Amino acid sequence: MRNTWLIIKREYLQRVRTRSFLVLTLLLPAIMTVLMALPAKLATMGDKPQHIVIVSSNAQLGESVRQQLLSTPVTEDDEEPGAEQAKARPQNQYTIDVDANATDAERTALREKVSSRTIDGFLWVPDDFLTTHRVDWNSRDIIGSQERSWVITAINHIALQQQLSKAGLPSSQSDPMLTPIKVERIRIEGGKEAKGSGTAKFLEIVVMVMLLYMAVLFYGISVMRSVIEEKNSRIMEVLLSSATSTELMTGKLLGVGAVGLTQILVWTVMAGVIALPSMAMQPNLSDLQISPVVMIAFAAFFLLGYLLYSTMYAAIGAITTTEQEGQQIQFLIIIPLVLSVFMLTPAIRTPDSAAVMWMSLVPFFAPIVMFARIVVQTPPIWQIALSLLLLIATVAGLTVLCARIYRIGVLIYGKRATLPEIMKWLKYAKT
Amino acid sequence: MIPTEVPVAQSKDQALTSAASPTVELTKIRKCYGEFVAVNDLSLRVRPGGIYGLLGPNGAGKTSTIRMIMGIIVPDAGQISVFGEPLSRAHMDQFGYLPEERGLYKKMKVMEHLVFLAQLKGLSSGDATARARKWCERFELSAWTDKKVEELSKGMQQKVQFIGAILHDPNLIIMDEPFSGLDPANAVGLKDAVLELAKNGKTILLSTHRMDQAERLCQSICLINHGRAVLEGELTQIKAKYGRISVQIKYDGDARFLQDPKLVQSYNDYGNYVEVRLAAGGDAQELLRAASSCAKLSKFEIMEPSLEEIFIEAVGKSNA
Repeated sequence: MRNTWLIIKREYLQRVRTRSFLVLTLLLPAIMTVLMALPAKLATMGDKPQHIVIVSSNAQLGESVRQQLLSTPVTEDDEEPGAEQAKARPQNQYTIDVDANATDAERTALREKVSSRTIDGFLWVPDDFLTTHRVDWNSRDIIGSQERSWVITAINHIALQQQLSKAGLPSSQSDPMLTPIKVERIRIEGGKEAKGSGTAKFLEIVVMVMLLYMAVLFYGISVMRSVIEEKNSRIMEVLLSSATSTELMTGKLLGVGAVGLTQILVWTVMAGVIALPSMAMQPNLSDLQISPVVMIAFAAFFLLGYLLYSTMYAAIGAITTTEQEGQQIQFLIIIPLVLSVFMLTPAIRTPDSAAVMWMSLVPFFAPIVMFARIVVQTPPIWQIALSLLLLIATVAGLTVLCARIYRIGVLIYGKRATLPEIMKWLKYAKT
Repeated sequence: MIPTEVPVAQSKDQALTSAASPTVELTKIRKCYGEFVAVNDLSLRVRPGGIYGLLGPNGAGKTSTIRMIMGIIVPDAGQISVFGEPLSRAHMDQFGYLPEERGLYKKMKVMEHLVFLAQLKGLSSGDATARARKWCERFELSAWTDKKVEELSKGMQQKVQFIGAILHDPNLIIMDEPFSGLDPANAVGLKDAVLELAKNGKTILLSTHRMDQAERLCQSICLINHGRAVLEGELTQIKAKYGRISVQIKYDGDARFLQDPKLVQSYNDYGNYVEVRLAAGGDAQELLRAASSCAKLSKFEIMEPSLEEIFIEAVGKSNA
């Protein structure tokens, strides 16, 4: 116990005191912030006024469509309210012309203009659009959802207005009726209205899972590297004359794990201090609140996930002699990690589906999948308990197995151990 | 030696140690790596106190034997007992170990590193620091205690490693090729430290492939070749028993005594002196009487065989 503690202490202090730890701890949040802010910034930076042409032989109709477009906010297809300010372009950034020359020649000319970027799109409104219920939106965009839904809202408004006025209702009367009804989303969590919006929740999961994934990978590799280093510098032999291989391995794992926790703690505090004011400015993120349950779940799944994967990394370090060799084998470890990241989307969309449930019970996926489920909507307590239990049991089992590999592997120099050799070690090693 | 100078306690100690169980006893230990037999039914006894040498050419099985005593690897067969008990982890804190392949954490500071190693052996951090300071002073490392290990020269790193092995005042110090790679000055410093530890009642087990070194330092030895013990015991006894004794004689006058087949097996005249190989059963004292009766002697020296000669002869026999 004393030995393990001494080893933990050494691993921890030696790592925390290095300059690279300091740089990484301080710099990574900065890099992350830039990376997260950059796409949004770039999107707005690239914003130049858009030029749209409405083609209709009826210039009056064209003009009313133009007016309607200018008074309708641009929103994305599947965007929830509140988000539009952040993403979509305000409609006053659009220059909208009306073109009464609805000939095929003009259509060809407009297509040319779209391609040559003279204009950004045109709306072709045929004379009989009220009976055919069809207009054409032409643009370069591949997705083009922003403008398309904007145009849909506007043109439908005009169509209804025209039909109502034909039926004898003036636009002054029909306009209030045509105001679209907003559908507010309210998420229920534990029988109450949840504070966080879906976007915030999604962001929370992605950020935390990425943190979990990266930390497990980063610290796992760090464990592997330091085992290889201890092997190559032959300090292992001196250590083995004072401590058991199990003490050495667990001490290393816990020491490095503590470094990871420290780093995450520092980041959390930094995020709290630095990011809160800027989050407050973005209304859709202001209600990002991480509940204590999620915090505890994060800590538990981070620690267990880290232990699960880093024990395997320690074993890989023990059976290889160089870092390059280690890098080659570590894909075996990365596969389940990457798989669990792939399962993130189904886990968020359908956290209660059978497939997601079973996956979240598998120890190798649990740290990410079960954690995501807990954040999305708390699964039945027995599932969490079972998942944790299986995870703990696997960690314990793997520790015993890997300690055996470790015990013998750390003394084998010069060549990588073969699979039959490892099987033999597992069979014979007793401590 | 004047009897009054011998402290009573020490003579008691000696009486005790001669009766005490061996510090290390190996009984027919065996270690195979696949098909290769590294250590083959090796038995040896290391008595308390003094320096015991594990000798043999490279690849004889010395390091494997030492690793088994250290509990780092487990023998396939045979028993290991230390201080009269079967080897267990509980004994480890009484062991000091200097492995053949030196290893230190390159990024750690010298003092931190020494304290860490001593703490693993059960010392408090305060004790460890005080002792490390003393030893660093002795080995002229005081100016380097706050430097990282990687900043030290190889010789200095070796000294740090040695200090790390003995800081917890172990009763048994096991050193694998302790002098290899040291410059002469540092080798002398280390040798003095080792002798001092032995004088203070510590048992030292060292391995070396250099016979001359063992001959100068060790009281007892075990000669290993191909994993087997070729010779084992006290050095003086081995020499008396094993080596054929030769005599160097410088004389003036009648050389008749060289022709006695009962005394002389062969001789070699080097001009200045003759080297005489005694016949089996021949007694040097008798030769001295015979020689002095007929010639004027200016030198009569009984030459002990060197360990190297004994080794070559013993290996020759065991291979035959």
